[in-house]
Amino acid sequence: MFSYLIRRLLTSLLVLLGVSGLVFSVIHLVPGDVTMAILGRQRVTEERVAELRAQLGLDDPLPVQFGRYLGNALSGDLGKSIRTGQPVAASIATQLPSTAALAFAALALALALGGALGIAAALRHGTWFDTLVMALSVSGLSVPTFWMGLLLILLFSVQLGLFPSISNSSSPRDLFLPALTLGLPEAAVVARMVRASLLDVLGKEYITAARAKGLPYRLVILKHALRNALIPVVTFAGLQMAYLLGGATIVETMFARQGIGRLAVQAIFNRDYPLVQGVVLVTAAVYVLINTLTDITYVAINPRIRLK
Amino acid sequence: MTAALPNPPVDSPGRRLLRQLWRSRSARLGGLLLLTLVAVLYAAPLLSDKDPNKNVPSQALRPPSLAHPMGTDHVGRDTFTRFLYGGQLSLRVGLAGIAIGAVVGITLGLVSGYFGGWLDALVSWLTDVLMAFPDILLALAIIAILGPGLTNAMLAIGIAFVPSFMRLTRSNVLVLREMTYIEAARALGSPDVRILLGHVLPNALRTLFVLLTLGIGSSILAGAALNFLGLGAEPPTAEWGAMLNAGMKYVRQAWWLTVFPGAGIFLAVLAINLIGDALSDALAGTPLAADEG
Repeated sequence: MFSYLIRRLLTSLLVLLGVSGLVFSVIHLVPGDVTMAILGRQRVTEERVAELRAQLGLDDPLPVQFGRYLGNALSGDLGKSIRTGQPVAASIATQLPSTAALAFAALALALALGGALGIAAALRHGTWFDTLVMALSVSGLSVPTFWMGLLLILLFSVQLGLFPSISNSSSPRDLFLPALTLGLPEAAVVARMVRASLLDVLGKEYITAARAKGLPYRLVILKHALRNALIPVVTFAGLQMAYLLGGATIVETMFARQGIGRLAVQAIFNRDYPLVQGVVLVTAAVYVLINTLTDITYVAINPRIRLK
Repeated sequence: MTAALPNPPVDSPGRRLLRQLWRSRSARLGGLLLLTLVAVLYAAPLLSDKDPNKNVPSQALRPPSLAHPMGTDHVGRDTFTRFLYGGQLSLRVGLAGIAIGAVVGITLGLVSGYFGGWLDALVSWLTDVLMAFPDILLALAIIAILGPGLTNAMLAIGIAFVPSFMRLTRSNVLVLREMTYIEAARALGSPDVRILLGHVLPNALRTLFVLLTLGIGSSILAGAALNFLGLGAEPPTAEWGAMLNAGMKYVRQAWWLTVFPGAGIFLAVLAINLIGDALSDALAGTPLAADEG
């Protein structure tokens, strides 16, 4: 286990190094002169260009620039926004809690709804209810998030007037529609997974044995089947959390909600490269961290994999 | 093959797969849905004589009627006509995205899996790095570099798909490389390119089919998402995602502007997912390289 842990952490560090390299190179991959891309076709003085080049540190050799970028990033300095002059790290720090609240709410919703439907479908395998859940699930996977968000706004906000279509806070009322928009497609994935996993476990011999022993059906399901069936779902939840961080870009833009996803989209429109780099780096780092933790947890709770 | 030869007594794997697919209800439903949708979209000149980009201010925001089956938008353009041409573009963006991702990813996977060594280590590491970005974020980062626009959106989606194709191809190649018929081909002195394209690729393709099919759906979704964020097609070009973005501002007055383009995306992706699911079921029992190559 220990050697696995070391190996896994090393891989993650290497990936993080690559991620920062890629993010660093964003500014260098922009076709043409990046200062022109930022300043646009407006008439700019040579001084302004020189000033911007200095601010972005473009005059040093590439390895020096990358070294400095890495060093600064490690000490929490992600540079300054070109448009506002604010430190990028501070902007991200103020927006991150809003995105985290949205992602957690969506995940909780997806697990509760998807889990319940998946379990119910597996226990009624082959019935019309099972077919219905599977049909809903494949539909959920095919629905564009932004369209579902608009339909939910049409229903809950325009027709029923129950929830606001603009989400300014993380109060349950403000969070409900964005979380539902982000969480429903995930619920579809969870339902499929829970159903498949539970069906697989229900076919195992130890379930037959537990039933033959005379244990009540309910107890067999709760104590033996579900506990084993939910292992893959738990690790999956970790991966989805990271996915939700990406999906937040659309939902935040749509509900005009604060968050790092909307920050990234606006930064792209403003050609605010340090801000784009910061958001992408932080999100990818969180993603790598969650993936690593998920892998380690999976191995820790699943000894069969550890031995391989 | 000459005409004198009789039909082979056994089914080709491709035909067997098609028959299996035909037996699946979801594949039939998906196929029918997809064919209908594509037929309707490409029959645009027959179904509507209107110009998708012509403003008729006096007709702005009209609800669906006989003259305008899907209503009109804020500048009086016919939504039905825009739906037809916009759908064609959405499908093309999705197909272009997946094609770029598949060609680059499969090539990298073939080469790195077959030759191994430092090349494999490098490509695998790069793939890991690309996979460290949530999909949409990777596409956004690429658009940040290239700038918004339709072509760049297709490229961004394509690049975001490269890692999945590279990984799946590579893992298939690692298995296939050890097969007797590949070893035999190598022993006979076949050039690597011929082994890769003639023996390895055709066998690897069978598992890649599922990713390809489901990938078209995801690619259409991703393209529409980028267009919805305003990072793809420039106005006045009609595209389903871009139409949704424009319609969002009028969601309170004109439901038809959001309901129809979104339904188009949903139905297209649903049809493809239904086929993909059935394909995945049909291929589940087939071993990777039952020596048919």
